[in-house]
Amino acid sequence: MATLELQSVTKRFDDIAAVENVSLRIEDNEFFCIFGPPSCGKTTILRLLLGLVVPDEGRILIDGQDVTYERPHQRDLGMVFQNLALFPHLSAGENIAFPLTERKEARSVIKDRVAEVAAKLHIDHLLHKPPAQLSGGERQRVAIARALVRNPLAYLMDEPLAALDARLRESTRVELKRLQRDLSHTLIYVTHDQEEAMSIADRIAIMRDGAICQVGTPDEIYNRPNSLFVSQIVGSPRINVIQGILSNGQFRAGNLGLELTCNGVAYNGAIALAIRPEDIAITDPGAAGALTAEVYEVEPLGGHTIVDVSLRDDILKVHLPGQPDFAPGQAIGLTLDGDHCYLFSANSGETLRHPV
Amino acid sequence: MRPSPAQIALRYVLIILATAIVLIPILWMISLAFKPYNEWQTAATGVHWWPKNPTLGNFEYIFTGQTEGLVVSLDFTAVRPIFASLLTASLGTILAVIVGTLGAYAVSRFKVANNLPLSVLQLRLFPPLAVMIPVMIMWAYLGMIDTWWGLSLIYTIVTLPFSFWLMKTFFDEVPLEIEEAALVEGCSRFRVFWKVTLPMVKAGIASTILFVFILNWSDYLMALLLTRKDWVTIPVYMNALATAMSGQLYGMKAALGLIAAIPPVILGLSIQRYLVRGLTFGALKQ
Repeated sequence: MATLELQSVTKRFDDIAAVENVSLRIEDNEFFCIFGPPSCGKTTILRLLLGLVVPDEGRILIDGQDVTYERPHQRDLGMVFQNLALFPHLSAGENIAFPLTERKEARSVIKDRVAEVAAKLHIDHLLHKPPAQLSGGERQRVAIARALVRNPLAYLMDEPLAALDARLRESTRVELKRLQRDLSHTLIYVTHDQEEAMSIADRIAIMRDGAICQVGTPDEIYNRPNSLFVSQIVGSPRINVIQGILSNGQFRAGNLGLELTCNGVAYNGAIALAIRPEDIAITDPGAAGALTAEVYEVEPLGGHTIVDVSLRDDILKVHLPGQPDFAPGQAIGLTLDGDHCYLFSANSGETLRHPV
Repeated sequence: MRPSPAQIALRYVLIILATAIVLIPILWMISLAFKPYNEWQTAATGVHWWPKNPTLGNFEYIFTGQTEGLVVSLDFTAVRPIFASLLTASLGTILAVIVGTLGAYAVSRFKVANNLPLSVLQLRLFPPLAVMIPVMIMWAYLGMIDTWWGLSLIYTIVTLPFSFWLMKTFFDEVPLEIEEAALVEGCSRFRVFWKVTLPMVKAGIASTILFVFILNWSDYLMALLLTRKDWVTIPVYMNALATAMSGQLYGMKAALGLIAAIPPVILGLSIQRYLVRGLTFGALKQ
C-alpha cells in the first residue's frame, strides 16, 4: 500500500558504481520485478530502498516522503533475503514472531498473527522446529511468513525462490502471485530468471551494469524491446541475431548469403537483425524464396521442439509446435520475413524498428 | 564393514591404554594428596599406588598451617592464594572476553581499524619475559604491585588477543544478511548485536571463556613478578611448600594441585554443551 520511488540514485562501492543514476517509480499494489544478469545492481536497489545502504547521490521516497537518510527500522518495509536469513537460534515460530516482539506487540496479538500467517502458508505444524530442521521449501515459507506477519507498507524479495528446486519454484511463484493479489500490497521482486520475471510481474525493470535499460509490462518487454540487450535477455530460447548491413531497406548478411527486405526503416549502415525462434518457418529445401540450410540438432521438448539449424557459419534456433520429424544433417529450407524482425543499431544496440 | 569382535576389543584396549597414559600423572597426584607424611616423603620405602592409610592431613596442613607428625609449621596458609587466584583469573577473564567480544564485533562488522587485528597479535610476538620485566617496573611506578587490580589488569591485557581473535572468527561466520534482516524487522544496531548476533555466538563465547580462564589460572610468571604477599596466586604459593626446613612437601603440593584443578573442571563441565559446537568452528551454518 505504498509507492516507492528512486530519484537519480547513484551508489558506489570503492569507486565502482553498483547503481548509477537510477530513477524508478513503483506504483501502489504493483508486482514489480527487477530483472537482470548477476551483479547488475538489482540487490543494491533493494538494499537502498530498505536503508541498509545510503545512496551517494539522489533521493529515495516512500509514499512521496523523503526517506533517504532514515534507518531501516523506521521505513516499515518487509524483506525476504536471498539466503532467507532466518535466525538459527530461534524456532520457526519465534522467527515469524520476531518483527512483532521487536515492536513490543501484546503477546495475544503476536500469537494470533503468527497463527494466521502460518495457516496461510501451511506451516502451522512446523512452528516449534528450529530452521536447521526444516527443508528448503519450508524455510522459504518461514522467511516469507516473517515478512508477512507485520503488514508493512511494501514487501521486498531478493530471489526468494533461488534455493528451491525447479518444480517447487514453479508452484511457489504462482502462489506468490496469488498471495500478492490477496494482500493487495506493493511487492518488489528481484530475480535473474527471465521466466520468473515474465510470468509473475505486473511490470519489469531490466537492469544492466547498474543502470535501468527498460521498464515495462512483460508484453512491452517481450514485443517492444528498446535495445538488443533487452531483446536477448527475455525469451527462451534466445532470440536469433544476425549481423549485417542495411541499405535502402535491404538487409544483407554476406557471410550467410542472406538478403531480406525490411520495410519501415530509413537507417543505412551496420545493424543487428534479430528474429524470435517462433517467427522462423522451416520449409522443404528449394521452396520458393527459402534459404538452403541443414538441421544441426533437434531438441524435442514434448509440447514443442527446438530445431537448431546451421546456416553456413551460423546456427539459428527455430521454435516449432509439436514434435516434427527432423534428423541432424537433413537439408531444409528456411523462410525469414524481414517484417517479423527486430532491427538494432550495431553500435549502440538501440532499436531501429520493431516488427511491422 | 562391521569390525569383528576382536577388532572392537583391540580398539578398547588401545583406548584404555591411551587414556591411562594421559591420566597416570593425575591419578598419582590424587593418590599423593591423600597419603600421610611417611608414605610420600622421599625416604619412604616402597612405592604404593594407593595410600595405605588415607588421610586429609595434607589438606589440613595447607589450610591451617600444621598437621600431626610434621614439626615445621606453615606461617602462610593456602586460603588467601586460592582466593587471589580465583579473583584475579576470573576478573581478568571477564574483562578480556567482554573487551575482546566488543572489539572483535566492531572489526568484523564495520570497516574500521583494519590493522587492529594484527597489531593486537603483536603483543604475543615477544617472549613473555621480555615484556614482563618492563611491565613490572611500570606496575611498580603505578603502585599496582601486589594488588588484585594490577594482576587482573595484566591478565586482561595478555589474554585479550586470544579472546579478540577467537571471537572474531565466530563473528565472521554470522552471515551479514541475518543482521540485516533483524535491522529491517525493527531492531536498532545495538539490539541486533544483543538479540541476534550474540546468541548466535554463544558457543564461541563459552569456549573463549574457558580457554582464557585456563590461561589466566595457570599463569606463574606474571603473578611471580607482580605479587609479593597479599595477592600471591596458587602457582606462586606452590613454592612456599618447599623450604630448607621442611624439604619438598610433595603431599601438600599434590593436595593444592588437586584443589587447583577443580575450578577449570567445574567451568568446563558447566559450559560443556556449548563447547563441542564452539570448538568445531563452522557450526553456525544453517
